[in-house]
Amino acid sequence: MKFTIGNFLVQEIRFGANTSYKKGLLTINKSEALAVVCEDDHITEADLYLVHPGDDVRLLPVKDAVEPRIKLDGAPLFPGVTGQMVQCGEGITHALKGCSVVVVGQQWGGYQDGVIDMGGEGAKYTYFSQLHNIVLVADTDEAFEQKELQKKNSALRRAGLRLAEYIGSAVKTMEPEKMEQYEMVPVADRVIPLPKIALVLQVQSQMEKPGYNTLCYGWDCNHMVPTFINPNEILDGAMVSGSFMPSSSKWSTYDFQNFPMIKRLYQEHGKTLNFIGVILSNLNVESDQKERSTLFVVNMAKTLGIDAAIVAEEGYGNPDTDFTSCLVALEDAGIKTVGLTNECTGKDGRSQPLVYMHEKADAIVSCGNVSELIELPPAKIVLGNLQALARDGMSGGWADDELLGPSVRPDGSIIMENNAMFCGDQVVGWSTKTVKEF
Amino acid sequence: MKKAIVYLNQFFGQIGGESTAGHQPAIKEGGIGPAQELNRQLQHAEVTHTVVCGDNYMVENEEEAVKQILELLSDKEFDIFISGPAFKAGRYGLACGAVNKAVHEAFSVPVITSMHTENPGVDLYKKELIIFSGGESVIAMDEDLKKLAVYADKILTNQPLGTAEEEGYHARGNRHQIWRDDQVCAADRVVDMLLKKIHDQPFESELPVPKRDNVPIAPPLSDLATARIAVLTSGGVVPVNNPDHIRSASATRWGKYSIEGMERLEADIFKTIHGGYDPTAIDADPNICVPIDVLRAYEAEGKIGHLYEFFYSTVGTGVTQSDAARMGREIVEDLLAVDVDAAIMIST
Repeated sequence: MKFTIGNFLVQEIRFGANTSYKKGLLTINKSEALAVVCEDDHITEADLYLVHPGDDVRLLPVKDAVEPRIKLDGAPLFPGVTGQMVQCGEGITHALKGCSVVVVGQQWGGYQDGVIDMGGEGAKYTYFSQLHNIVLVADTDEAFEQKELQKKNSALRRAGLRLAEYIGSAVKTMEPEKMEQYEMVPVADRVIPLPKIALVLQVQSQMEKPGYNTLCYGWDCNHMVPTFINPNEILDGAMVSGSFMPSSSKWSTYDFQNFPMIKRLYQEHGKTLNFIGVILSNLNVESDQKERSTLFVVNMAKTLGIDAAIVAEEGYGNPDTDFTSCLVALEDAGIKTVGLTNECTGKDGRSQPLVYMHEKADAIVSCGNVSELIELPPAKIVLGNLQALARDGMSGGWADDELLGPSVRPDGSIIMENNAMFCGDQVVGWSTKTVKEF
Repeated sequence: MKKAIVYLNQFFGQIGGESTAGHQPAIKEGGIGPAQELNRQLQHAEVTHTVVCGDNYMVENEEEAVKQILELLSDKEFDIFISGPAFKAGRYGLACGAVNKAVHEAFSVPVITSMHTENPGVDLYKKELIIFSGGESVIAMDEDLKKLAVYADKILTNQPLGTAEEEGYHARGNRHQIWRDDQVCAADRVVDMLLKKIHDQPFESELPVPKRDNVPIAPPLSDLATARIAVLTSGGVVPVNNPDHIRSASATRWGKYSIEGMERLEADIFKTIHGGYDPTAIDADPNICVPIDVLRAYEAEGKIGHLYEFFYSTVGTGVTQSDAARMGREIVEDLLAVDVDAAIMIST
């Protein structure tokens, strides 16, 4: 399977007459873009903003981020979600690099939503502050969940996916500036004398009700048993981020499209290791389902003759049991493992870092502490609704606290846990953070 | 110039050796012994006073000794309190921990000390206190004092503080996120760790998991009817006057009490000193925790061979793993010496 990404390096974005791209300048026809957003009747209000690295702008509640792309063969960018069911990860996809579509609720936030600060002290907490962002701020008629802690954010998130494809269409017929190529020959032909590696991705799937979990070709990952998937499929829109789990632990759709851990393994393939592929697993809550998933992962790894595996977890708390159990079970099967996750050590740093720990999980890369306390000054411009952080149960925020006061102060400054930083722990591989003893 | 006060035991405080270990707390102006050297090394503080106390006096009368020390300090102005270094000296380490903890609580000043990793004071106090990783003996004095002085200067001048590893103190289960100076991303770190693990090279997990000691389950007795059985408890049941002064929490000692000729434990003779549960029921009937009554009945029935004439007791709550393991080893040695075949360990 050969997958080519034709990259266009965006350095500037403006609104203008035609949605187009020329030498680093991306121009967006705002009314056309908004028309794509409003194709869904559930969208009641929508506007677009352009924000840039260093801008004194705070975005919240952020629902998802998506890289603008277009597939040259006319296939939908997210098969099974935005269009028909076709194979991802083959052929050519064009991508606008250095930018993303960020979806922000105009009114309502929820447990799973996050904050992005484009400038100042807060910028270092998210990956997305270094991108030029096309910010969709919109509201919907999904009244049933306006006061719910857990929100599907269906209309907003799907609008973001459509918008990313619409903007991507600007470069459909153009010559890319930089090519990336990912080729996976059939497993049976990958006979190089190097250790065989699998990447196990435990994607978020804790919600029993439909509409919240990570999707694979539109399929709710709660309802699958682990499966072998070509990494190219993940890089090419097979996965759409869910709407559950405190934001810093989440993997956005943009994260799936750019998955640094996958790209890193491709880079290493043939040099120090033999990258066999990805085992896509999940993080369900019932014991049987956890054990079944672990069993499938281990059997698949054994069947593929895997020597060593990386297990990455999208979440913390309850899913730590799946994470540690999977590492232990792989070790027990003679497969050497490294874990990739974040920790929850509490505001005081003193809690047990993972809900379940085991001495066989002896090699873990830690990407951050979800409960680290963060205090940030007011931002000049807020896109979305600042009060969502305090009012709507966003996981890192609170309405009031005896010691710390409210998360959102009258002057617009905020105090929150890292939990609410949009995809802040970058467990997909970008994180330059770690956790240390003090 | 900021002010520092130092705590030393009778030996380093130049009172004398073991024969003076009962010395009561005293405060002297200026730095004595190691405190004098510390004074030289500190750039931003002066050691104004040295508190000296005998190790035995502290260990045997901790509550009173700490109270006396707090009184001695009550009219002094100081910005930091430094104890030790205590090296591997167990009683001295426990004293440094107890004093630092009390001084921090009473005066809200930063407190630091230094001990070798095997000093029992480390396990008992590292969660609450910053305890620098010290040498085994006085040979390491200069090096240990230097770490204390460097860190004290940093605190006193509000300089950024490094991680436990960077500064050199014992990790205390206080984990916070940082950005790595080298900016190496997680994906690179994973590949590096994985390759090292594959090739059996040493690697360091970023989230170390403490090793668990799993004790294998003992094989069954061949014949219960002839076996000599002992009873052990961590429920804190002791003679009412607590003759071994076992602590109600974080105990470091165990006791061994005769039940010779007793058909049951009587309430006016035994009670519990355990601080971690409501004692009402056990004080009314200690057999609820240490079931001598039932075991005597078994003995009479011939169900068990013989009930050993002493029971063993300590308090389980808050005990460090290393103290618990040590007490276990000591008790086992005692039991083996008198040919006990099996023991019943009763928790609460």
